[in-house]
Formats: sequence, structure tokens, C-alpha cells
Amino acid sequence: MAKKSGQFHPARYLALFGVIVAVLYALVFFTGDREPTPQLGIDLQGGTSVTLTARTPDGSSPSDESLDQARKIIESRVNGLGVSGASVVVDGDNIVITVPGSDGEAAKSLGQTAKLTIRPVLQSQPVGAGAGAPPAPANPAAPSAPENPSAPSVPAPGTSGGAPAESDGAPAPQNRVYPLAAPGDTPAPASGEDAPEAPAPTPAPSGGDASTAPGVSAQSPAEAAMTDKAREEIEAAKKTRQSTDPAVQQQSMSDLAATGCVGEDPLRGNDDPTLPLVACNANGQEVLLLGPAIIKGEQIANAQSQFDQQQGGYIVSLEFKPDASQVWADFTRENLQKRAAFVLDTEVISAPVIQGVTPAGSATSIYGNFSQSEAQSLANQLKYGSLPLSFSQSDAKTVSATLGLSSLKAGLIAGLVGLILVLLYCLAYYRALGVLISLSLILSGILVYALLVLLGRSIGYSLDLAGIAGLIIGIGTTADSFVVYFERVKDEIREGRSFRSAVPRGWARARRTILSGNTVSIIGAAVLYFLAIGDVKGFAFTLGLTTILDLVVVFLVTHPLLHIASTKQWAANPRWNGLGAMSDVARERKAAALAAAAKES
Amino acid sequence: MGENTTAAVKTPPPSSGGRGFFSKLYTGTGAFQIISRRRQFYIVTGVVVLVCILSIAIRGFTFGIDFEGGSRITFPTTPQATTSEVADVFEEAIGNEPVSVQTVGSGGSSSFLIQAETLSVPQSVELRQALFDAFQPVGADGTPTIDTIGVSAVSSTWGGEITKKAIFALVVFLVLVGVYIAIRFERDMAFAALLAVLLDLIVTAGIYSLVGFEVSPATVIGLLTILGYSLYDTVVVFDKVEENVEGLFHQRRRTYAEQANLAVNQTLMRSINTSLTTILPILALMVIAVWMLGVGTLKDLALVLLIGITVGTYSSICTATPLLVTFKEMHAKIKGHNKKVYERRARAEERAAAGHAAADDDDVADGEGDSADGDSGDVARDGANASGGGAAGGGRPRAGVSGTATKPRPGARPASKRRKRR
Repeated sequence: MAKKSGQFHPARYLALFGVIVAVLYALVFFTGDREPTPQLGIDLQGGTSVTLTARTPDGSSPSDESLDQARKIIESRVNGLGVSGASVVVDGDNIVITVPGSDGEAAKSLGQTAKLTIRPVLQSQPVGAGAGAPPAPANPAAPSAPENPSAPSVPAPGTSGGAPAESDGAPAPQNRVYPLAAPGDTPAPASGEDAPEAPAPTPAPSGGDASTAPGVSAQSPAEAAMTDKAREEIEAAKKTRQSTDPAVQQQSMSDLAATGCVGEDPLRGNDDPTLPLVACNANGQEVLLLGPAIIKGEQIANAQSQFDQQQGGYIVSLEFKPDASQVWADFTRENLQKRAAFVLDTEVISAPVIQGVTPAGSATSIYGNFSQSEAQSLANQLKYGSLPLSFSQSDAKTVSATLGLSSLKAGLIAGLVGLILVLLYCLAYYRALGVLISLSLILSGILVYALLVLLGRSIGYSLDLAGIAGLIIGIGTTADSFVVYFERVKDEIREGRSFRSAVPRGWARARRTILSGNTVSIIGAAVLYFLAIGDVKGFAFTLGLTTILDLVVVFLVTHPLLHIASTKQWAANPRWNGLGAMSDVARERKAAALAAAAKES
Repeated sequence: MGENTTAAVKTPPPSSGGRGFFSKLYTGTGAFQIISRRRQFYIVTGVVVLVCILSIAIRGFTFGIDFEGGSRITFPTTPQATTSEVADVFEEAIGNEPVSVQTVGSGGSSSFLIQAETLSVPQSVELRQALFDAFQPVGADGTPTIDTIGVSAVSSTWGGEITKKAIFALVVFLVLVGVYIAIRFERDMAFAALLAVLLDLIVTAGIYSLVGFEVSPATVIGLLTILGYSLYDTVVVFDKVEENVEGLFHQRRRTYAEQANLAVNQTLMRSINTSLTTILPILALMVIAVWMLGVGTLKDLALVLLIGITVGTYSSICTATPLLVTFKEMHAKIKGHNKKVYERRARAEERAAAGHAAADDDDVADGEGDSADGDSGDVARDGANASGGGAAGGGRPRAGVSGTATKPRPGARPASKRRKRR
């Protein structure tokens, strides 16, 4: 045991802890927005709510089942984005999504219908008429085919990266609500009013993020009239753009090419996959005539976003269910050097040239100049299925907190009072050593705070009231590690050891117990995080966080400090460590044993 | 089981007999007979669980708006109205609090949004009138009109889907933890821990059903917290049991049940301390957040945790370890070992009755063994055996010594060294 104290350097552990705290706080103050406040949930600080109004092809009111199904899909998309604490409710014919914070753009993307079809490209025509606009890269088939062996896709032409910012001011080149594919570097200049099928009251939104919807403000005034209008628009668009008559097809293509694909597509999400389709490319620079769909969204088994090393951009990788996988393999074999279009909600998000055969069963990638979050959203939309309804979206409105700052205050006061009560109890019970508990708890609190700030920034974790309650409860469980440790030290003293030698031995055993117990908590947190959705996910996250921090603090702070204390003379005094009763037991036992031995001899 | 009870009664804890209740609790010297009274605990637990199951089956739960859906009331804001005034008017008209009152939007187009449990038609008529009288919301044409107050039905946000997923996650969690405990400890412990946790869940849910507390998402989250807490608590006790029963078959002084009882005693103070340090903040949460501010989510969560942690603490002491012992005693090996222990005791008693010289030794050693944990028992026995162990009935005490020598390090150290230090 003497050897052990030689090996153990408490100062090193404490220093390591100091470094961790320093690094975390350096990150808090020198990265991101540098605001040292965690992101708060809807119930505490309010959020943004987006109302989605169902648009049915026939203008009738959607069935409850399809609304509920849509709600569930949107909900799983929300949860696919990570820990966010959003809520999704059906309110009449609307679906209301509320997300924490003031950024409603993420919420809007959740209402995308996400009907994916893969269609062969029969013909293409650049969006020409416009002045100023550099012609669309003449033949997207030829250049820059990525060397991805399995059906690589040509990235949408145009610059990568910061494209959306450049399209400021001008009407968005393709007025999709969701910026699936970043618009090209130069938006087609043709203006919205020319588009015959563009919904009338749809001025392009000014400034800001041009890639997000107009159409946004279309919803509010006269909703009843709008459904009729929607129906008419859809009918009209179907007639021209889904015609099987080659003459009508040609006419439709040149019309669309002339208008430059501006305005929200009235057909969005409502095209018939069994018919041909005339549609715009996402960059707004090309009109394509597509054949009937060969694969539909329901046949996607999985979708995920990835960073493509070769291209240096984000892609969405798709896995098909077995049948479709075979269809796709056959199609790629038979159509080498021809183009296939990935059509999402009636818009071509990517129309690559097929460079090689995709073997059945392997993944296919969609390229499209995505930003990381766009790729992630698209993957989520595809993975969590298409909505049974198409929605038009209202403005994102701010919503005040349900409970607000007064309850945040109440929670914090409760936490403080709880903390003080725990400390008083520990001081009464563990005497001077209770100070160690206070210190551990406070340090743990400091770590939790830094991590909440950082996680709010990086993965959008927002602290809601349940989370605060979880943290308050964390006080108790963090104190527990010390309790386990100290009770073990007591055991050792009962067995007749001095306080000094009881500490290292007590630690050796307590460590095992603490690790076993916390493993259970971590398993629980991980399972709930990965399998459950909604509030449970956020809760599981806090639970896992406090458990891991508990381990960090107990190993790096509590134990080294108690170890240092054990080498001090005062700590061995029962008046300070409160262990008099234990020593008494040890003494009695020893006396009994000696008495027995004496009697014997 | 009956056999065991008599054995426990036969050997009362001698050394700490003179201490008070708190001292016994504090020093954890094995004074509380928990395992030997497990039949009583089973009966109590069984009755409670039965009542809970019946209540769940017959009364069911009261679900909140998040599960059942409810009503949403909107009307334009007026400059002077605040959300708390709106909540007051609501409460006056309907009789209970709205679930939430928020403002939506900003500037001229902002409006109040009230969420409440489903309102009946007369209720919503009354509410609209009350709100109109109180706030005179102005319509698009600039005059106050009751038509600006809209009432619509909202769906549940937390409907079946999330609950289903939570339950699925729960089952996976229990299976994984079961496997973990089975690997880290042993299979019987895994069964006992899971069974105890299941009972916790049933009892907590049952209390909710019995009292008629409303089930909200916070309740479900709280229930999941309890699971983790209860299992954690149980693992800590089992860890001690495992330590105490190490080398069980190398001695004949103590049975598995007695060692388990000792473990419960030794961790009793920890269980109480941990529960207290967890419950104190929860109580603070309840008192401050609920009585002073009336915050729903906090109330729901605090309530379920308060109930659950109390139940969880009870179960780790009075259900999990007794169940473990019951499972263990089904094994022939443990049964055989118990028999040996009882035989040995019976012989010792006979000798004592016959006035045999060595009997005293055995009694002292046995008494220590029941009341102290393994290591301190060793101290006593080491002392006893050093002088006259050999005389006391052939090889038996020797077996005890060699058995304890395989215990963790300190036991293996000669007792003399320890004496020197003091």
C-alpha cells in the first residue's frame, strides 16, 4: 500500500481536470458565436412555428389518417435531425411544427413531400432566353464525371459551396421551398410573373436566404380560395407537363425553358410517376423531358448523407430494397452514357450520366452541390418516407415560451436550494469531507454548463425544462459516487484500518462499484437515445452526459482530493471525518478477538 | 426458507447488540435481519403489486393533452393583455388551468395561443365569451368581434407512436442491462435485478393510476429515470453481495443468505444517503417550482421521481437481494452448503451443551461472522485459530482459514501485521 501511494499522483489528475475545463471553456469563448449561454428549448425561450397546409390534388380536405401519417413522418424527420425538442401537431387541416430558436428554415424543410422518383432522361434543353446568364454548361454529360465507379452522378453544374448567398436579391432561380440543391451561381434572370403556372401571389422573398420559399406568404389571405386554385393549377400543369403527346411535350419544354423555371412548381409532389414529365433541373438552367419512373421513393431502403472525398462535397447515398436494386442494376447496364434523373417532388435534383453499372445491392449516390445540412435533410426526408400529402407552408412565426423565464428561474432556484440541502446533509454526515462533495458537485456543474453550451452550438441540443429537472436530479446521482466511495472507506475502517490506509483500498473497491453502476446508466442512456424519439431522446442525452461527467469528476477530482486529505493528520481525526463510530466497532472487534485468543491460551 | 429463518434467529448479532438503531444503521454491522424476513417482504410487495395491477387494469390512467389531444384557442393580442391574465380568465371560465398560454408572432399580427385539454362545445362557447369580455380582441376591420377567437382541435403530440418506441427502447434496455449484469456478475443477479425493476415500474405506474395523477411526457421520462436509478442502486448492492460471497464454499460458518444480508446492511447507509441526496433536490423542485410557481412539467417530473425513487430504494433493499437469495437457494450447491453450515452449528451447540472446551471459540467466531463482513470475521478467527483452532474439532476450522486466505489481499495478510500498525 505504501508503494501504491508512491505510484498515485493526485496532482496529475487534478491538473488533467484543469486542462479539460480550460479546453472546454476556451471552446466556449473562442469558437462559434462565443455566447456563453446554452440553447434553450421551446418551453423556456419559445421558438419558431411553421404551419403546413395540406394541398390535395382535388382540393378536398385531407383525411385524418393521411394527416396523422404525415405528422408521424414529419416527426421522425425532426428526430432524424438530432436532439432538438421540436413539436409536431395536427391542427385542423394543418400541421404545425414548432422548433426551438428563431431559425424556422429547418422546420420548413421538414414539410417537404419528398417523393423521389428515378426517371430516364429522354431529352434536355437549356434554359436559354435569358440575357446575362452564362449558358448552362452545354453538355452536362461530358465534363467532370466523378470517378465513382458505381453510377456516379455529375454534380449539379455551378459553383459549389456558398451558392445560395450569391443568389440574393434576384428571385430564387428555382423556387423550391427547400434548398435541396444549391442554386447555381447565376440565377436565371427571367422573372416570376412570366411563369404561367406560378401561383399568382408569390413575390420572391426579399433578401435573406433566397433559396427558401416564396409561396410562403401565399397562404394566409384566403385559404379556401387557394385550395381550388391549387387544384386548378395541378390539373393544368399535369395536362401540359405530363402529356404523352410529343408535340405537347416539346411545347411544354420550350415554355418552361423560356420562363426559366421560376416560381413554385404547382405540380410539386403531385406528378404522376407512370407518365412522362417535363421538369426543371434544380440549378434552374435546364429543362428535361423524363420518361416514366423506374424506381419510386418507397423502394428506398436507407439513405444517408456522406462527405465525398473525391469530389469534396456532400452527397446522399441511397440503398434500394432488393427489387429496385435489381431494376437499377439492369437500368444502369442498359443505359450506359445516358442520363438518369433523380426527381424529388417534381424537380430534378441531379441528372447524372451513367458511367458504370451499379451492381445490385450496392449503394447509389446523388450529387447535387449540397451543403452538409442540405444533404442531411435530404437523406432524412428520403429515409423517413414521403408525405402522403403535399403542403404549402406559411411564414415561420415566432412563438413565445410556454413556461418561460419564470419557470427557468424557478428551476434554477430549485436547483440551488437542492444543492444547498445536499451539501448541508453531506457536511452533517461526512463532516469536513463533505466539502469534497461540494467541490466535486460544483466542478461537475461547471463542466455540464460548458458542454451544454457547446452541444447547443454543434448538434442543436436545446435545454428544456425536463432537461433542467434531469440536471437537478443529476446532483443526487453525482453525489452518489462519493457516497459509494466513502462508505467503502468506512468498511475498511470497520475492518481496523487507519483512515490513511483505508482510502486507497476503499477506492480500489469503490471504483469497481462506481464503474458497474454507471455502466448501467450509460447503457440506459444510449439505448434510449438511439431507439426512442422525441423528448425521451433529449432526456437520454442529459442522462448520459451527467453520468459520463460524474465519472470524469470522481476519477479526476474526488479521488485525488480524498487521497490528499488522507495523508493529512487532521483528516484522521474522527471529529473531522465523522468516522469515530467505525473505529469503535473495529476496536471492539479486535478486543473481542484478543479476548477470545487470550481465553484460549 | 423456514430452516434458514430459525438459523438466523439462533445466532443473534452479539457484538453490536448494545448499539442504538442509528448506530447500527451507520456502522452497517449486519444488525438488520432483512433476508431472513424476506417472506414478509414478499407478501407486502405482492399485495402492493397486485393492487397496482388491478388499479391499472380497472381504473387505467388519466392521460394529458400530449397523449389525448386537446383544444387550441387563438385570438389577436391586445396591448394590455399578458399571458398570465389570459390564463386567469381561462381558469375562471373553465375551472382548471390551461396547459399552456403563448404569444405567437410579433407586432400587429401577433396572437395568443392557448392549449388546453379538450373542451366541450358549451365550454368553448363560454370560454370565447369570457375571453371576448375580458380582452375585446380586434378583428381585421378594426372593431372588436368574437369571431377573432378561434377554437380548434389539436392532435396529440406524444401519441401512440412515441410511447410505442419508448416501450421498445425500454425492453431493449432491460435486455441489455440483464446481459450486462449476467456477464459482469451472474445470471441469478440479472434475473433478480430485472424482476425488482419490473416491480418498481408496476408500483410507480400503479400509484399514478390509483391516485389519478395525469400522465404527461414528463411522467414517461421520469419513469425511465427511475429504471436507471433502481438498477444502479441494485447493482451497487449486488456488487457488495458478490464481494461478500467470494469463497463462500471454502467455509462453513456462514450461508449465502447471511452474507447477502450482511451486504444489504453494509450498503444500507449508502442506499439511504443516495436516496436522500437525490430526493432533497427533488423536494426542493416540488416545493419551489410547484407550490410557488405552479409549473406543470416540473410538477409531473418531480412527482413521478419522488414516488419512483422511494419505490426504487425499497426494492433494492427489500426485493432485489431477497429475490437473489431465493433464486440462489434453488441451486443444489447452495442448498448443500447451507446444510453443512447448519450441521456445523448444530454440532457446536451440542458441544456447548456438553460443556466442551472449544465450543466458545466457535460461537465467538460464528457470531462475528454473522455480524461483520468477511474480512473482519477473519481477524477474529485468525486470532482464535492461531491459539487453539486445531483442537477445536479436527480439520473444520482449518478449512475456514484456508478458505478465507483466498479472499482479497488484506485477508491474506497475517493479522499480526495489522496489530503492529495500531
